Amino acid sequence: MADYSENTLPVEYRGTPTPLLKLSLVTTILTIITLGIYRFWARARLRRYFWSAITPGGDPMEYSGTGLEKFLGFLIAVAFLAVYLGLLQLGLFYAGLSMFSEAETDAELILQFVGQYITFFAILPLIFYAQYRGRRYILSRTRWRGLRFGAEPAAFGYIWRGMLYSFLSLITLGILTPLQTFRLEKYKIDRTWFGTAQFEQQGSWWMLYPAMLHILIGALFMIVPAVALIAGTGFDAVWNDFTVLENAPWGWAVGGLVIGNLWMMVGFVYYWIHSHRIMAKHKVLDGDIRFSSLPRTGKVIGVYTLGAIGASMIASLFGSMLVGGLGTIIAGVMNKSGSLDLGSLFTGDTMPTETQGILIAVSVTVLYLVFFMLYSAFAVVMIRQPLVEHFARETHILNAAGLDRITQRDGDEMVEAEGFADALDVGSAF
Amino acid sequence: MTDDITLGTPQAPPPRSGTYFDGHSSMRHDVDLAVSEASRTLRLSGDTLGDDHLWPLDDIREHRDHAHKGAAIFGCPQEGDARLTVNDTQTASRLRALCPNLKQTDVRKGAYRTIAIWGFGAVASVLLIVFVIIPALAATLANRLPVEREVALGNTVMRQLEKFLGSEAAGDLACSSPEGDLALQKMTARLSDQIDSPYTLRIRVLNHKMVNAFAVPGGNIVLFDGLIHDATSPEMVAGVLAHEFGHVINRDSTRLMMQTAGSAGLLGMLLGDFAGGAAVLLISDQLITASYQQEAEANADTFAHDVLASASLPSAPMGAFFLRMKEQHGDVNRLLSHLVSHPDLDGRADAAVAADTVGDAGFTAVLDADEWAALRGICGT
Repeated sequence: MADYSENTLPVEYRGTPTPLLKLSLVTTILTIITLGIYRFWARARLRRYFWSAITPGGDPMEYSGTGLEKFLGFLIAVAFLAVYLGLLQLGLFYAGLSMFSEAETDAELILQFVGQYITFFAILPLIFYAQYRGRRYILSRTRWRGLRFGAEPAAFGYIWRGMLYSFLSLITLGILTPLQTFRLEKYKIDRTWFGTAQFEQQGSWWMLYPAMLHILIGALFMIVPAVALIAGTGFDAVWNDFTVLENAPWGWAVGGLVIGNLWMMVGFVYYWIHSHRIMAKHKVLDGDIRFSSLPRTGKVIGVYTLGAIGASMIASLFGSMLVGGLGTIIAGVMNKSGSLDLGSLFTGDTMPTETQGILIAVSVTVLYLVFFMLYSAFAVVMIRQPLVEHFARETHILNAAGLDRITQRDGDEMVEAEGFADALDVGSAF
Repeated sequence: MTDDITLGTPQAPPPRSGTYFDGHSSMRHDVDLAVSEASRTLRLSGDTLGDDHLWPLDDIREHRDHAHKGAAIFGCPQEGDARLTVNDTQTASRLRALCPNLKQTDVRKGAYRTIAIWGFGAVASVLLIVFVIIPALAATLANRLPVEREVALGNTVMRQLEKFLGSEAAGDLACSSPEGDLALQKMTARLSDQIDSPYTLRIRVLNHKMVNAFAVPGGNIVLFDGLIHDATSPEMVAGVLAHEFGHVINRDSTRLMMQTAGSAGLLGMLLGDFAGGAAVLLISDQLITASYQQEAEANADTFAHDVLASASLPSAPMGAFFLRMKEQHGDVNRLLSHLVSHPDLDGRADAAVAADTVGDAGFTAVLDADEWAALRGICGT
């Protein structure tokens, strides 16, 4: 446990709902008006807000990245990716067509299925690359007490490790997930700096297995009743004729599946939170500065659930009010441009005139935009901020006296910023 | 220093009015703040600071979008990475009132030039790939695709289409009657005799009120019952059919599918996941598709004129049909003509009339009155 001596710095959180809601609404509206171009500035502004709200030991963090440099990074990424992705997709489509048939056998069906995921594998290395570069960019623009954070340029090593560990985790049905989580975290942390001080991730991957507890329980709920059911009926009998299960009490197996699924979903959050707790405990900065970060699974699930319900309720309420008003106006215009029976449109009995078609498209688009805009703006306030606040408040810096000896590091310019992450849409939540 | 205005409480026990970080070490320096109106400077002084620091008021910048209005981070370009953190509302707001250029952003020299260069590069790269490389590549690949693969692709597309139109089992929307089928065969034969086609042309009439017809990869052509009923003579239908033959021979549908596959993901990447991205995506995709397609339509029209001429049929009825469609459904205005794939019905009608080689001379009707009636009744309505 954290010892709250003078040598321990608590992390405070100073954000409040009102200014964040204002910021998030304004940036969302600007993003829509500019057809998405403002999203780089929007993200930079939200980061500035969140960073400045997190105040370890009373000194706020600072985010010094700008929308302009993010935009430039995006342009650079697009200039390269347009060619790569365009040719890749067309090539894969042709390759897919060459083995295209009507999938009459199971094998052909599987082949088609695999074909659809080839695109994904072809951009997977790019995704790991973009993630590492994105993180490095964010760190280089993060300051605390006037000192920059930083990460070493090592994205290529991250690509093959990311792919290897993900593959291992996949083929072992998740049993090696702690290996993936730990090794990737260690790779990143060991290359992370605060000023002249280097971070280190200590410990080993098997220490994350206790965090898997609830995933395991969920899996047992799903497997045990089903196996017991088949064993009770007799493996050979089921193997020969699946229908013998009809008379078995299979309600138990279904119940197990439902409970197991729910338990597992909670288990995933539990794994996320507890692997974070364990790894935080084993992080060291500059040899002797340590950390304690103890967020709670129940709190995190509660924030997500309540926040999602709250934000969608508010978005629906305001959204329907706004669109209701707009709908009245549109209906008026529609009547002028000739009456239109919406029902007959769907059956194909009448075709809308151009004007009516445009009006319908406009109102549907506006409804979608308004709902989306309000939801995302409120989700920032009702989900993201409480989460960040919880993580911040549960984190302490131990043995903080050592911080005083750390000095500034050189800037890391990174002209391309996190352009690849933006272009591939694999940026972090922030 | 009689004119100095002290901010906060001087020499107060910590916390003092400000905290200073020099940007070189992580040491915190508690500082007192005083403003000289005469020299327009902010004086930072503290026990651990050594000499006092003077910040010109005009140069002071505030870190924007700060979460807490009562606290603020200030910087001064002369001191680079140095930061002044103020943690009480009163001091922060007084300092804000005194500094005129807090919000000025100091954009690096040449930043806009770099943006312009890369912006041009990005746009050029996307335009090149979407409008030059992908269409050229798609055309090459479409021609290299073996015919039997194209037919298999067409069958899959047909099935999806029928599902989309509300069909439950394959083929249950297709219309067929003994006399209607014969009439359709007669019309098809007269036109297809003029073409050297690697495909087995399969023409289907679907029971749907849409006034439309199209070609599916691999020689499948779909006529909607609505179109047959809308036409006032069999030559009009023959014109449409000849046009669709053009699409089949030119492999337009196959090429189009490849082009879409190449450019769709690209647009998603450009527009990001912001609200409304999907809507803009649809429109842009439609724009690109339509621009690919307008050329294909013009080519198919020319093809149709030639086929009709060699079959000794007039192409003027085809023009008349275009005008009829315009009358019934309205032409599209100029702005919209970029969004639809069959634009400018007037122009296409004129071209069809101009290409007519039969004119007032007599011709053997493509279907006689009985056969025409049978075709119109193929869906039993």
